[in-house]
Amino acid sequence: MPKFMFLYRGECKRQQELSPEQMQQAMEGWRDWIEGGKQAGWLLDAGDGLKPEGRVLRPDRTVTDGPFAESKELVGGYCMIEAADLDAAETVALSMPDTGGNVEIRELAGQSMG
Amino acid sequence: MTPTGPPQLVEHFFRHESAKLIAVLTRAFGVRHLDLIEDKVQEALVAAMQSWRQGGIPANPAGWIYRVARNRVLDALRREQTFQRVVSQVQPSEEATEPWLPDEQPADEQLADSVLRMIFVCCHPDLDRRSQIALTLKILCGFSLAEIARGLLISSEAAKKRVQRAKRALAKRRVRIELPPAAELSARLAAVHEVLYLMFNEGYSTSHGHEPLRDDICEEAARLTHLLAEHETFGTPETRALLALMLAHSARLDARVDADGAVILLADQDRAKWDRNLIRFAEMWLERAKITSPSRFHYEAAISLSHCHAQSIDATDWATIIRYYDRLISLFDAPLDDAPLYVLNRAIAHGESGDPARARVDLAAIRQHPDLRNYFLLDCALARLHELEGDAAATIAAYERALEVATAPHERALLTKKLERLRPS
Repeated sequence: MPKFMFLYRGECKRQQELSPEQMQQAMEGWRDWIEGGKQAGWLLDAGDGLKPEGRVLRPDRTVTDGPFAESKELVGGYCMIEAADLDAAETVALSMPDTGGNVEIRELAGQSMG
Repeated sequence: MTPTGPPQLVEHFFRHESAKLIAVLTRAFGVRHLDLIEDKVQEALVAAMQSWRQGGIPANPAGWIYRVARNRVLDALRREQTFQRVVSQVQPSEEATEPWLPDEQPADEQLADSVLRMIFVCCHPDLDRRSQIALTLKILCGFSLAEIARGLLISSEAAKKRVQRAKRALAKRRVRIELPPAAELSARLAAVHEVLYLMFNEGYSTSHGHEPLRDDICEEAARLTHLLAEHETFGTPETRALLALMLAHSARLDARVDADGAVILLADQDRAKWDRNLIRFAEMWLERAKITSPSRFHYEAAISLSHCHAQSIDATDWATIIRYYDRLISLFDAPLDDAPLYVLNRAIAHGESGDPARARVDLAAIRQHPDLRNYFLLDCALARLHELEGDAAATIAAYERALEVATAPHERALLTKKLERLRPS
């Protein structure tokens, strides 16, 4: 079965504006989604959130602080699922709670080439 | 057999942790750092949300958030270079009363003590009433500005202004995070009662239709009042009566709206939906509030409970309710000026008890009150009197007048429906 990675982009700013009550609701929504996915078997890895700061290794082997991408482009988290095809993966993505940003649905290349 | 799943969070955990953390950290660092503390607490909550949604709830979630929030505040103050002055001295800040910032989450009674101090700070007499309510919702109830705006039916801009005005006043006066001194206690406690009472009424009022967040305002007002009521100094008979009043009203919250969110009047409510547990708690607190000279909270709680005890609107003990209103109104030197709504409610009770003449006397006395001149409920009360007397034409005319002055859509809908039923087809 093809595997897909969901990349959550640009969620940081909106989360700072959530009220505590909204945060709790969001968190509980996520927990239910993850539990549901594990039980049904399509969630391969619940993934994690990513801290905004880090370092970037450039092609010339220099290392800088970063990534400092536009905040709406910044990858803020990920998870891994499996689904029959891109349409099925989209259906799974639509069942996710609000990430506050975009969810990029990308199929793992090695799996589908095999 | 009790299933032991992964740790769960209690309802409103984030909201109430936010309040406790802000109270504890402001107590340690002073009110002038309130904005910074709020920001860092928010960051800690976001960190918790992100971490817990993936990895599950830790065994001690409150301790987890406390450590993160505490460290972030310390880091931020260090960066502001005020750290040396703020933390390393015996007095952690000029406003704080004692050096006090535990490494681990403080014990429950210390948390409660910090929240109690914060109640008195948010209801500080130097703040105007509207700012007190907005600040209480922000700091002690964990409401965002957007939620305050939605709950109080004001713009976000107005909510922000009220909160900022309050914070500036507190910082300017270097208000300490402490309990009021004995000499000021009764006046300061009365101000707290007033703020919590108004806050509850804001949430309870249906004059603008139903909004679930307004139920939360009622719940929060009752929660803070409960905290005071349990305290040996602040749990005065007035505090307890105020809590009884809030609980008795809250028992009827769910029965007041239908599935579409439309408001249902007392007479039409399904009384089986009233919360018997809350009614019992209200009775218990009113029982514990006994005093030789009852306050208006005592009488309002007793009136609310009388309604709770009636099996149907027809079974209502109007005579007792009128007696409570008489005593309640006699607490005011100039009730016609200062308590016209109590007089209006007594008129309604007189009408329902079969004494329209007394009802008319009350209504005539408040008819010209500036607050009631264009108040649709006054015309509704008159209409009901005509209806009770069987004067159909006068009933319709009075409801038509009510419809002319009613502004809220759901009130107009209620009156239109009423008129449709009354008008001969």
